[in-house]
Amino acid sequence: MAFLEISDLKKKYRDFSLSISLEVEEGELVSLIGPSGSGKSTLLSMIAGILSPDSGRILLSGEDITNKRIQDRGIGMVFQDIALFPSMNVMKNIQAGMKEKDRKKRDDLADKLLELIGLSGYGQRSVSSLSGGEAQRVALARSIAAEPRILLLDEPLSSLDAPLRKHLRAAIRSIHDSLGITMLYVTHDREEAFAVSDRIAIMHDGNVEAYGTAEELYRKPSSMFTAFFTGEGTAIPLSMVSEGEEGTLFFRPENAMIIEGGQIMPQHILLEDAEIISAEFTGDGYTLGLSWNGYQILARSIAKPRKREVSIAIPKEKAEIFQS
Amino acid sequence: MDRNNGKIGLWSYRAGTIPAILLVTILFILPMALVFGSAIREGTLINSLEDASTYRILLFTVEEAFVSALVSTVAAIPFAAFFSRYRFPGRKAILALSGLSFTMPAILVVLGFVIWYGNNGYLNTLLEGIIGCKPLRILYSFPAIILAHAYLNFPIAFLIITSAWSGRPETEELAAYTLGKGRLWTFLHVTLPAIRGSAASSFALIFLYCFSSFAIVLVLGGQPRYYTLEAEIYRRVYIDADIPSAAAISIIALAATAIMLLIMPEGRREKRTSRKKRELKEAHGGSLIAAFFLVILILLFLLPPMVAIVYRSFHEKGGAFTTEHWVKGLNAGYGAMLSSFIIAFLSSYLSTSAASAIALYSAHSRSRLLPFFTTLPLAAGSVTIGLGLLIASSYIGSLIPLSADWIRYILLLAAHVMITLPFSVRTITPRAQAIPEVLRDSAYTLGMSSIRTIMKVEKPLLRSGRMKAFCFSFALSLGEVNATMMISLGRLTTLPALIYDLIGRYDYQSASALGTILLLEALIVFIIAEIGDKDGIS
Repeated sequence: MAFLEISDLKKKYRDFSLSISLEVEEGELVSLIGPSGSGKSTLLSMIAGILSPDSGRILLSGEDITNKRIQDRGIGMVFQDIALFPSMNVMKNIQAGMKEKDRKKRDDLADKLLELIGLSGYGQRSVSSLSGGEAQRVALARSIAAEPRILLLDEPLSSLDAPLRKHLRAAIRSIHDSLGITMLYVTHDREEAFAVSDRIAIMHDGNVEAYGTAEELYRKPSSMFTAFFTGEGTAIPLSMVSEGEEGTLFFRPENAMIIEGGQIMPQHILLEDAEIISAEFTGDGYTLGLSWNGYQILARSIAKPRKREVSIAIPKEKAEIFQS
Repeated sequence: MDRNNGKIGLWSYRAGTIPAILLVTILFILPMALVFGSAIREGTLINSLEDASTYRILLFTVEEAFVSALVSTVAAIPFAAFFSRYRFPGRKAILALSGLSFTMPAILVVLGFVIWYGNNGYLNTLLEGIIGCKPLRILYSFPAIILAHAYLNFPIAFLIITSAWSGRPETEELAAYTLGKGRLWTFLHVTLPAIRGSAASSFALIFLYCFSSFAIVLVLGGQPRYYTLEAEIYRRVYIDADIPSAAAISIIALAATAIMLLIMPEGRREKRTSRKKRELKEAHGGSLIAAFFLVILILLFLLPPMVAIVYRSFHEKGGAFTTEHWVKGLNAGYGAMLSSFIIAFLSSYLSTSAASAIALYSAHSRSRLLPFFTTLPLAAGSVTIGLGLLIASSYIGSLIPLSADWIRYILLLAAHVMITLPFSVRTITPRAQAIPEVLRDSAYTLGMSSIRTIMKVEKPLLRSGRMKAFCFSFALSLGEVNATMMISLGRLTTLPALIYDLIGRYDYQSASALGTILLLEALIVFIIAEIGDKDGIS
C-alpha cells in the first residue's frame, strides 16, 4: 500500500469538477503540475483538510484522514503567500508547531533548522524584516519543525524572482534528501518540477493526465497535452507522411535532424523541401523554425545550416503517434 | 537623484496654499491666541489648574471617552469576525447602513434616543403593553451617554475592523491549523494580533470623538456631573457668563487632546507577509442562522431611534396622525434650514478648495508640515474654535461696519470652515499622494506650464476625493451644533441648533419634523459620497 493513497476523490463546482486517484510512496517528492485551473491547489487543499471532497478517500500511512480536522491530519503545508505569523519573531514562528515541550530542546531544534535553511542567527529577527526568499525558507522550517507525516508545498516559490527560485528549489530538494520527508509539491513551472521531483503528476481539467518520472513524461508522453506540457515539439497530421493513416505525429526538436537532401535513411521519417524561417542561437546550437507544406516545424542543429532549403529526418523510434 | 523637474513648478503649488494658510492663521491661530490671552491675562488658567473640579471634569471626560471607545470596539469585534468570514443576503446593506454613521449628526442621536429610549418613549410604551409597566430608566445617566456614543461609534469600529479583517487572507490561520493548533490558540496568537492595529486605531478615533462630546452629554447626561470639558466650556460661557474661565478650560482640553494625539497610535500599519485578500464563504445552515441573528441585532440597535424620529414627526403623543407639526416646524425652521444649507455649502466649498491646494503641495514637496498645520483645529475641538471666534467677535465688531448678526453669520461660516478643513485635508491628501510623479513629468516634457499641469492633469484626478471631502464636510457642517451654539448666542439658528432648542422645550414633534429633514439630508449626502467614490468607506 502506498504511503499516501488518494482514491477516486471527487469535488464538483459549478464550472469545474475534479476527479483524482493518485499514489505517493514514502519518502518520495512528487510534483503536481498543470495549467491554471487544472485543480492542483484544490487537490492540495483537500489533502490538507482546507476543502472537503464530495466523495472518495484519502489514506495517509494506511489511516483514513478524509474527514479529519486539519489539525489532526499530521500534514504540514507551505503556502504560496508564505503566511508567517507577523506577531512572532522567526524563532517563535519555527517553534509554533513543535511537539517538543522542553524549552532548551525546542531552541536547539529551531537552531538546527535555521542552520538547515541557511539562516543561522536569524532567530530573533522580526518576520517583516525578512526578504521573500528568507521568509519562505522560515515557513519551510516551521512546517518541518511540526514533524508532519507529509509536507505539502503550494507553489512555494511563485512569489520569488527567477534566480532565487532556482536556488531555493535546490535547497528544498536537499532538505528533502537529508530528512527523507514525503513531499507533495504544486507548481506550474515545468522546469521547477523537472528539477526537484522523483515523480510528476500532470493535471489537466481536474484529472491526472499522466504520472511518471520527468524522463518518462518527456520521452514517452502518453498524450498530446502531456507532450506539449513537458517541452517543445512539433505536431503534424500523420497522413502527411503516411498516406491514409489517421492520427498525429509528434516529435521533439532535438529529434528532428537537418539533412541537405538526397540521402536515403530507411529508419527515419523524411520531411523534404522544408524552408528555414528562423534560426535562434542557444549556446549549444541552433533552434530552427521551419515551414514544411504549410506546417511550422521545430528542429535543432549544432551548426547553422548553409542552405535555406533543407530536409528533416526524424528517427522512427523517437516519433510519437497520438490518436485523437 | 534630485528631481529637478519636480522643483520647477513648486512655486505655483506653494502659491496655491497661501489662501489656505491665511484662512487657518486668521480663523484659527489668531482666535486661539485670544483664548490663550484671555485665560492668562485674567489668571483663570492658574486658578483652573489649582481647582479640583477641573480634574474631576477631566477625569470624567477621559472616563466616558474610554468606556465609550472600549464598548464600541469590543462589541464590534465579533460582528467584524463574522462579516469578514461569510457572504450572506443583507451583508452589503448592513455595511452601507453602518457607513451612514459617518454623516449622522449627533443631535439626531440625541433626538432619536429621547423619543425611543425616553421614560415616556416608544420602547417603554411598547414594553408597557407587554409587561404592564415602563421598566426602562436609561436617559439622564452615564449608561445613556455610553449607549448614545456606542450608537454613533459602534458602526465606525465595525467598519474599520471588518475592512482590515476581510483585507487579509485566511492563510495565516490555515497555516496555524496545519501546525496542529486549535481555533482558540489561532485566534489569540494569529488573528487577534493581526487585527490589533485596526482595533487600536478605531479605539483611538472613537476615544477622541467622545472626548469632545457635547450635545449628547448635555441632553442625555442631563446633569453637570456628566459634563465633559467641552460641555463645561459652554456652561461657563452661557450660565456663568465667564469667558476667561471658559478659555482656561479650553486650553486644558487642547493640551489634553494634543497629548492624546501624541501618545495614541494613528492606526498602526498592519504587518503583512502576504498579499492576497480573503475569499468570503457562502453562509449556509448554522452560519446562515447566525448571520440572520446578527443582522437583526444590528438593525434593532441602529434603526429604531431613527425610525422613531420619522414616525413621531407624523404622530401626536397619543398616536393620532398629523402633519401639523411639519407645518409648524417648517414655519419655524425655514430660516434655520436656509442658513444651514448656505453655511454648509460655502464652508464645504472653501475647505475642499483649500484642502486640494494643500494636498497637491504636500504631495509634490513631500511636506508634512502643512497638512499638520491645517489639521490643528481638529485637536482644538469645535467648542473651543467657537469660543475663539466668539472672543474675536468683539474685536471684529469695531473693525467691520456690519450688524452683529451678520458678523455672527460670518464667524459661524469661519468656524465651520475650520471644523471641516482637517477632514477635507485628510481625505484629499492620500489621493494627491497617489498621483504618479511621471504624469507631472510627462506634462512638463510636453511643454505644459505648472499651472496648466495642476489644472488639467492633477486636479481632475482629485475629483472623486474632492467630491467625497465636499460631501462629508457638508454633512459635518449641517449637523454641527457645538461651535454654532457658542457663536450664535441664541440669536441665529441653524437646523441642528433649532432641533436642540426644540428638544429643550420638549417640543419633540416639531424637532422630529426637522430631524427627519436632517436625516434625509445625511442619507442623500452619504449616497452621493458613496456613488461618487468607488473606494468608499464601506
